Amino acid sequence: MEGIPVSAAPRPTGSDKPLTTKQQRAAERERKLEAFRKKEAARKRNRKLGIIGAVVGVVAIGGLLVTSIVLAPKPATYAGGGTGTGEDIEGVELFENSSNHVTTPVEYPQTPPAGGEHNPVWLNCGVYTEPVPNENAVHSLEHGALWVTYDPSLADDELAALRAKLPSSYVILSPFDGLPSPIVVSGWNSQLQVDDADDPRIAAFFEEFWKSDLVPEPGALCTGGVDGPGKA
Amino acid sequence: MTDRSDDTPGATASGAAPDADTSRTRRRRTAALVAAGLALVVVAVVAFSIGRLSTLGDPTPTDRSADAGFSRDMQVHHLQGVEMAMIIRGISDADDIQHLSYDIATTQAQQAGQMYGWLEEWGLSQFSAEPMAWMAAGGGHEHGATGASGAADGAGAVMPGMATEAQLDQLRSSTGVEAERLFLELMIAHHRGAVEMAEAAQTLADTTVVRRLADSIVQSQDAEIALMEGMLADRA
Repeated sequence: MEGIPVSAAPRPTGSDKPLTTKQQRAAERERKLEAFRKKEAARKRNRKLGIIGAVVGVVAIGGLLVTSIVLAPKPATYAGGGTGTGEDIEGVELFENSSNHVTTPVEYPQTPPAGGEHNPVWLNCGVYTEPVPNENAVHSLEHGALWVTYDPSLADDELAALRAKLPSSYVILSPFDGLPSPIVVSGWNSQLQVDDADDPRIAAFFEEFWKSDLVPEPGALCTGGVDGPGKA
Repeated sequence: MTDRSDDTPGATASGAAPDADTSRTRRRRTAALVAAGLALVVVAVVAFSIGRLSTLGDPTPTDRSADAGFSRDMQVHHLQGVEMAMIIRGISDADDIQHLSYDIATTQAQQAGQMYGWLEEWGLSQFSAEPMAWMAAGGGHEHGATGASGAADGAGAVMPGMATEAQLDQLRSSTGVEAERLFLELMIAHHRGAVEMAEAAQTLADTTVVRRLADSIVQSQDAEIALMEGMLADRA
């Protein structure tokens, strides 16, 4: 393209006066030199473009990677650990119990009961001021409720603090004689003993086991059964 | 090379040239491998990033999200609706009450089950340490609660429209048209509260499933409020 003036230049002069060999050689050299310079410039330009392209590419891909990691939603976390076993909550005990229905009194292996054979009718969830029948309460555990039991000697302010922590449904609160600790929270096949109402493990236990999908009948209601004595 | 080939044409033709060829081939092969490796890394990184970013459109809700809060609190709210419907079914034989309560109990139990399943799917607890916090966080929604909530102990958070345990006891112990009227009044208030919560979820929730359920709750319960107001007028 731009080579035309160079190669064309000698021709008009050549028409009236032929160039000497020396002049021809010089012109040829000049033409080659010019071509070389252009090639060199093009190479430099391509190199520069290549480097810029590579840098832009690396930055773009790096940016994409960082963006995706920073913006993507974080996995959910909560105190209970979310495995359904309560392994991250100190002191949680797990059991294996039968879920047969019986109409006779049952001797339970755990105190208070945390699953096992139970009455066909469940105990309505709520607050009770007197001990409730084990056989009905265990049926409620099977529906995903938690049974919060306290020693009858628990101070009134402790009991009020405990009550304030509980959800409005799927929970039974009742006194229980002969507890191994002042407060025991039981689910179906799970249990936690605590000494006072302010123990943070109570909330952790609720996060892990309240309405758990690991009970035999998740989603069954804790209403429409029977009331026990002393329902508040 | 050119110098040498001038000196000994025969030797170079059979010696140096193949050497140059193999080294050039090797270099080319290495370059191709490096390019292929780079391309692979680029494709992998881009695919990974797109995969992660694609979750932004409908993200898995976090523990404190409105989606999770609504799914927890609306379950509690709905299950009280089921309970009230089952109570009146045991008291009243009226056809319209029987149909309405059957409709409410099955619909709300099914919807509560959906919300239960979402929380399990999202890997979140069913338990809420701060009931209704998700709605307060959104701001602007005043609770028009008809009474202190707490299905059983009265200590739980106040959810709009929830009946108190005393109101439920009153319903259980009433009979005839009086029971029907009380049920309708309690259920109208209960539905209004549910609509309020669902409207908050329409604004605050991020996931499609939650917004769709909120839409259908607003639509169906608004319609049922009108129906129940008519039934209440029939019993005036």
